[in-house]
Amino acid sequence: MIRFFASDTVAHIMNTWSPLQQNLNHVMNGMSLLGVPPPIRSSQPPKDYSVVHGLRAAIEALGECTDLQLEKRKAMTLGDGNVKLINKCRIICITSARDNDSMKRLQEIFNNCLHAHNKAAVSSDRYLQIDHCHLVIIHTFPVNIESQVTQQPPRNISSLLTTEVYPIKAPLISNKLSSLILHHYDLASTTVTGIPMKEEQNASSSANYDVEIFHSKEAHTAILKGNAADSLAIRTIKEGLEYETVTLKWCTPRGCSASELQNCTSMYRITPVEVNSRPSLCLINFLLNGRSVMLEMPRKAGGKITSHLLASHGGEIFVHTLCTARSVLEDPPSISEGCGGRVTDYRITDFGLLIQQNRLLPIKSSYLGNLPISIPKVKARLNRHTKYWPLTISSTLIFNLKNYIDPLPSIITKEKITDEEMVQCKQVIYNLIALESKHEPLHLANVGQRSKGQKREEQYKIMWNELETLLKNNCHSENHKMVYNCLIECHKFNSDDGDKVELDQALRELDQMTKGDPEVQRASVIRATTDSPMSPPPLTSIAPPLSRNVHNRLGGIYSTPRSLYDIFTSQDKSKTRPDFAGRTGDSNVAKFNIVNIFYSIGE
Amino acid sequence: MRFINYWFHLQQYIRFMVAFSSLYEERCAFTRDYNAIKTELQKLDDYDKTGIESALQGASQLVLGEWGNNIACQFVLITDGNTGVGPLSLTESFSTLNHRNASNPFPLPFAFPAKLHVVCIAPNNDPNLVKSKPLYQRLVDMTGYDGSVLIPDGNLCESTIVSMFQKLAEDMYTSFRGTLKCGNLESRVTLSPAPIPYTKLTDFDCQTNVLSELIEVCGFMPIADVGSPMAISRHLILPTSSLGKENLPLNAEIDLADEDTAEEGKVPSFCVLLHGALKVENMTALVTLGENWFGFIYSWADSKKKSNLMLTVLTPGSDAVPWLGDLNHLDSSDNLMPEQVGSFPVRPSEKRSYSQNGVELNRLRKAAISLGFLDLLNGLAYIFEQECTQLPGSAHPDCALQLTHAADVLRKTQNKDIKYVILPLITNYNSS
Repeated sequence: MIRFFASDTVAHIMNTWSPLQQNLNHVMNGMSLLGVPPPIRSSQPPKDYSVVHGLRAAIEALGECTDLQLEKRKAMTLGDGNVKLINKCRIICITSARDNDSMKRLQEIFNNCLHAHNKAAVSSDRYLQIDHCHLVIIHTFPVNIESQVTQQPPRNISSLLTTEVYPIKAPLISNKLSSLILHHYDLASTTVTGIPMKEEQNASSSANYDVEIFHSKEAHTAILKGNAADSLAIRTIKEGLEYETVTLKWCTPRGCSASELQNCTSMYRITPVEVNSRPSLCLINFLLNGRSVMLEMPRKAGGKITSHLLASHGGEIFVHTLCTARSVLEDPPSISEGCGGRVTDYRITDFGLLIQQNRLLPIKSSYLGNLPISIPKVKARLNRHTKYWPLTISSTLIFNLKNYIDPLPSIITKEKITDEEMVQCKQVIYNLIALESKHEPLHLANVGQRSKGQKREEQYKIMWNELETLLKNNCHSENHKMVYNCLIECHKFNSDDGDKVELDQALRELDQMTKGDPEVQRASVIRATTDSPMSPPPLTSIAPPLSRNVHNRLGGIYSTPRSLYDIFTSQDKSKTRPDFAGRTGDSNVAKFNIVNIFYSIGE
Repeated sequence: MRFINYWFHLQQYIRFMVAFSSLYEERCAFTRDYNAIKTELQKLDDYDKTGIESALQGASQLVLGEWGNNIACQFVLITDGNTGVGPLSLTESFSTLNHRNASNPFPLPFAFPAKLHVVCIAPNNDPNLVKSKPLYQRLVDMTGYDGSVLIPDGNLCESTIVSMFQKLAEDMYTSFRGTLKCGNLESRVTLSPAPIPYTKLTDFDCQTNVLSELIEVCGFMPIADVGSPMAISRHLILPTSSLGKENLPLNAEIDLADEDTAEEGKVPSFCVLLHGALKVENMTALVTLGENWFGFIYSWADSKKKSNLMLTVLTPGSDAVPWLGDLNHLDSSDNLMPEQVGSFPVRPSEKRSYSQNGVELNRLRKAAISLGFLDLLNGLAYIFEQECTQLPGSAHPDCALQLTHAADVLRKTQNKDIKYVILPLITNYNSS
């Protein structure tokens, strides 16, 4: 933060620490109200003009708390031992002194003021002590005379004060300030070259302009510390200035670079150096309007590389440093080559819906106040939305019956549901009951021919069981429970599923048999998704899920329950007795028969 | 004097080697080819001196040239316990630390995240080593992160040296095993490259954040809103088998039978589902990586269009991305009142004053008055009058009128109110 003071017979304070006054317009308005000093050869006797008034006011200002310091101070008085406060500052004083002696006196006066302030601040509630001050004096003089003040490198006047003096010809003050700023704030300069701009008078053609910007030095670290020859080629010292600028070429944006996340290793806010120049304005407006631009640097070895991205976010402009080095992720495998990569029927569209339902948005700052953090809340929300969420299309039936069960799935995952929504859910259940009683087959929305050959009764049975799982896992409130109870009351599970108990028993026994031998378990699970072309469609091989663990890593209830065929094969009978003659050869017909035999027993 | 010192740099599984003395020499470029390193090791010779600073300098240059300043690296300095004598010694390097300038900076801390391990092949009670140990420790401390100084346990013999290196290898290359969780859906995952703890230095303290084993999805955001925030690292998220293969030896990848891989490919994985949906929707998932630490997961494709799930690790803290606001306060619109819901990008409370609007007379006048440069106004008035006399015959008659008007007003108002606005003269030509 920066404060401005002018000093004549008194100190004029141009702005305060308030964030509202930390901008160019405010300071410029203050300056204009100040007016012009009277001509030197005025008829009136010279008044007591002195820079000391301004310096005193500056010291006082540095002792005032900024918003952040005030916050810390409060925390400290409340006894928070973790909060620390160091009040370091710098004053840049532009003045004119007669000679080295008067400059020396000025520094001594300042040093005394500083110590006096700290003494007074000890017992003050309002003022902070100043832990250290860096005083930079710019002694300015007209171009046609010689300076009687010599340059003075940084020197410690006391433990509190370091001073330095630069004699600068009046027209060069701004250049000097630029180099001081770079040094004081660890900034660096980039010149964006080759920006095509249209002239107002000559809108049909465009000329190329350069715009210089300042930003944190760190934004250059990657390119300057990399290849020495490359970095040498882009560093130049601008005419009349003391500092280096890195020249990067404007790269006309094609397409929208916002659609992908760039490999950005650092980002810093920027400011144009010449805030009043036309090209600066042009570039700034281009960026503020939401467009971004890549900057490239040439390479000695030939070609060029995109090294930075300029973009604005929320009215602030940033330079993003992009990774120009070799990538450690050379030749990565594609996700389709790893675990789960060969599965082709993930419920991508449904998960897309879940993504849209769980979009995060900011809360308007005026409402933030003392709101508790919302991350646990949104995680709990995701938890609720995924209570029952099969990963693949073939491991679910109800989510393929959208035209029958919507809007139940989206309602039931809500934290609270209204009475009206509860009625909607119940209606879904009633409709399904009605359909079943009319012997209407269920048409699957996105499975296509997979449902062919599935018996209607079987389909309903699976649907009811899966619906029960969904509702049972989503009993978040009384209304949720009423939906669940509605299902239990309307549909008689036990009497309808006479064979369910036996199958469950079989599964339990199988579990015991295979316990402690993950290989066997895995084999059976995998086989469930690698059926031969002649095996029954996956949906018909789904066993009722009632007693199964819902939170199965392999994707909901439907991948764990096995058909009798699976149970049979997973017991690996071939080891205990010879296989059927038909299976030993490559006879598909024989396999087909076996499947059908066991399938019919299952029914 | 006989010193044998050499360097390994181990970068994931890519290493290089530098031999050093008064100068350094790159003996082996970054490679995954172990035989090349072995061959080069056998060719290693003795040099004139021990110059650890020059070695650090060289290693730093090589890393920056090849990997930039963002990739975490590990260094192994192998030494006989000597730190050198004379102007190139470590003692000398340390004693001149405070007199360095931009042209000869001390190479530590590195410009990139790095761990330094100093391995001393010397007996425990070696008098040289006793003196060197604190100096080595100082190097390790300066590098930051948690490096180490290693000395063989017990007598100096082949077996103690081998076990020392084995221990080092285990410490350095433990791969990350964690869980990616989204509500009740989850996947066991590994991250490549393995994440390293992030150390944040502030005015008053130094905080180290270690990535949690639980990477938990909070919700989702469009890629366009996220922009390209600064990341401290990026990692591929690779789903691992959940079928009891947790305790594999380091070289597991090579041993995996093809059949196993093929079967794993057919077991549904939440990672693959998430990847597919994020790609289709052009969205990212905001995840928590630890206490008040966030990251983004999204679909990423390399130059060969091989698509993968990528994790971008943000700097710790909920304020890592200014235009997203406080990440801890992002919420679902369902949880909020309609009037509370904001939108991206989140704007700072004050508008930045980047630049002033276009050049025009009133702005120039205002600037001149603000800066007390009133002569400019007189000069300008004079220029306008000159321009007036030199107008070509073809010029619009309004030109002369307006120029004269402007010159007049500039002179008249020069000591007056800054808020005064010069308006064009209304003439027959422009009053339509």
